[in-house]
Amino acid sequence: MSSNPTGTRNLIGIRNLDKESIVHLIDQAADFKKRVTAGDDVPKMTKTVIGLLFFENSTRTRVSFEQAAFYLGMRSSNFATTSSSMNKGETLKDTILTLRHERINGLVMRHKSSGSPILAAKHFGGPVLNAGDGQHEHPTQALADALTIMERKGSIEGLNVSIVGDVEHSRVARSNLWLLDKLGANVRLVGPRTLLPPQPSNLPGEFCDELEEGIHGADVIISLRLQRERMNEGMISSIGEYSSLYQINAETLRYANPGCLVMHPGPINRGVEIDDVTADGEYSAINQQVENGVFVRMSAFYWCFGGGAA
Amino acid sequence: MVLRRRCGVRTLLRNGRILDPSQDLDEIGSVLIENDQVIQVGVVEDLTGIDEVYDCTGLWITPGLVDMHVHLREPGDEHKETIITGTQAAAAGGYTTICCMPNTNPPLDNPAIIDFILDRAASPEAGGVFVAPVGALTKDLKGEELSNLAAMKRAGIVAASDEGFPIQDSQVMSRAMVFCNQIGLPILAHSDDTSLSKGGCMNEGAVSAMLGLKGIPRTAEEIATMRNCLLSLHTGCPVHIMRVSTWGAVEIIRLIKSLGAPVTCEICPMHFIFTEDDIGEFDTKFKMQPPLRTKVDIELLQQGLQDGTIDCIASDHSPHASHEVDVPFDEAPFGASTIEATLGATLTYLTHKGILSPLDTIRKLSTVPAEILNLDGGTLKPEELPVAQITVIDPNVEWTFDRNKSFSKSKNTPFHRMKLKGKAMLTFSGSEIYRDAMFPAERYAIYI
Repeated sequence: MSSNPTGTRNLIGIRNLDKESIVHLIDQAADFKKRVTAGDDVPKMTKTVIGLLFFENSTRTRVSFEQAAFYLGMRSSNFATTSSSMNKGETLKDTILTLRHERINGLVMRHKSSGSPILAAKHFGGPVLNAGDGQHEHPTQALADALTIMERKGSIEGLNVSIVGDVEHSRVARSNLWLLDKLGANVRLVGPRTLLPPQPSNLPGEFCDELEEGIHGADVIISLRLQRERMNEGMISSIGEYSSLYQINAETLRYANPGCLVMHPGPINRGVEIDDVTADGEYSAINQQVENGVFVRMSAFYWCFGGGAA
Repeated sequence: MVLRRRCGVRTLLRNGRILDPSQDLDEIGSVLIENDQVIQVGVVEDLTGIDEVYDCTGLWITPGLVDMHVHLREPGDEHKETIITGTQAAAAGGYTTICCMPNTNPPLDNPAIIDFILDRAASPEAGGVFVAPVGALTKDLKGEELSNLAAMKRAGIVAASDEGFPIQDSQVMSRAMVFCNQIGLPILAHSDDTSLSKGGCMNEGAVSAMLGLKGIPRTAEEIATMRNCLLSLHTGCPVHIMRVSTWGAVEIIRLIKSLGAPVTCEICPMHFIFTEDDIGEFDTKFKMQPPLRTKVDIELLQQGLQDGTIDCIASDHSPHASHEVDVPFDEAPFGASTIEATLGATLTYLTHKGILSPLDTIRKLSTVPAEILNLDGGTLKPEELPVAQITVIDPNVEWTFDRNKSFSKSKNTPFHRMKLKGKAMLTFSGSEIYRDAMFPAERYAIYI
């Protein structure tokens, strides 16, 4: 995203990333995947210590970054928020400064506040990788999704991709939207109006509040997790009604193109946004997304620390 | 530079452009001050015994500026600002009177604390500007029971406000208006329906959708503006709507004024200069309450300024400490340090662009706010001023606002490094309380 005199870069989001860098990150991930699965060598970064700073609960993303660090020979340190000084009232800035002076070389950060990795990068100096910030971006998830689509469909250019569900509150949706648009897909965002951005003019893609129309002719559907608290906030009438209107299942998939890929960033509410059969069906790429998450995070580390081109 | 001078001298402000909206005066002339009072305005013939002369050629001589909306943060948050630093900053901004808001800690909701404010403001270290306190409408700003407003009025408050904690219960607000109208106290209304704005941190719109920040819809301001305007219409209580930011709020105020309600309103420079786009990559300097809106809003707000719907310009000086704003955007407090840049920003973005005439500029920065709150000031008429309150402005000087040279404790301001055209050169409250470093030394002479 941005580079500094030491040759390192931050990966904060997809919006400010050029197409060339995105393609490079995906290609590098594919290469790492090939090498790791074949048991071949990958570059080692044994002198690098990476801090995993997760201020929000996460299993799959955190483990995925840990695995990526492991394959690259990096050491990773976990900073769980429950046991960190943030619980004693320390500010994010001071936490970041502390880690910097403890000679941590790079940071992976998840935080509830949109934009917080930018603040972290300002004070940390070295590479900061955004592992999800508020409702803003989740760039490595989008890269994993892109790698998955490319593996299954060959290319992203010209594909019809529908992102279905709680778009307004989804950082995954925003990163996917920017990435897919930059790589030439036709993106549609589908969901009830209360869960779509009220004024989407700064976002690419088309917006649609009806599932049938929204996934008509889709080559890929990315279903988003529905958070149950949205019901208490009055954004949906009931979980049941939401499912009846927006669930991806064998019935609704008829509107999409044959062989439509079904994706989900997880964790899934089975039976809510997606039904069991579809989640485990032959066109589901959910497990592949998880697997690819490790390789794009390897690629992200490598790129952020100045490895590779672009 | 805050100077404290002895009284009794005979001071001549010579050959400036005198702009006094209270008497529609726009002419080249001089102003004579003696024993801290304005003695003569226009042609000063008796030049005997002059002690000091300020050559104001090319400068404006105006009534001292009056700011209806300032946060001094004392008591309780002295790390952000104090009455001393805030009044010094006000003097440097060209102000001779400022109204301080009640949402301190504890709030300004009883006469004893009003006494404290007035004592501190009158101390020799303070900036020499008059501080007119605004009392809390309800006890502890909880929006439930009315404060002892009559006792606070006797202690010196000039208005009452629920600033920072807008009253949501319309019955409470209605009764507050009935009582304030009875005792002759205007209400400054913070218009925000918090059920709509809760949790939001910027304008709800295209930029919040892009940045993934929770938005504050314009309806939060407009619904509350409409309610406050309707209650003013029906109770007859003078209500001043603070810091309008949406075109819809301007339309509502225009309508309610046409129906005869005693409603006035203000705008703050941030809302006629910046938009939601200025937030860029989560820059907390641009986190305002109400939030920065859009270009369309700015255009229609400027029309509202021109046609008089928007009565005056206030700074909404809301200082914060650096450590409080160097946090993620949604955690940062609303507001910024603005009092020293408001005049320059107004001249740059409204006057020099032809949106306001020089006389209308001073009207909105001085005469009208003084009228709304029945304050001494806003005029150069000798008989209406217990002491001379005068600001001398260089409308054409080009300068760059530097927060590190500010008198305010807070360095959190969207005006940092901004190029402005126009600045206060001298501020008089009785005698000189501020002289800018850019005022040439050769323009000042002492004959003692």
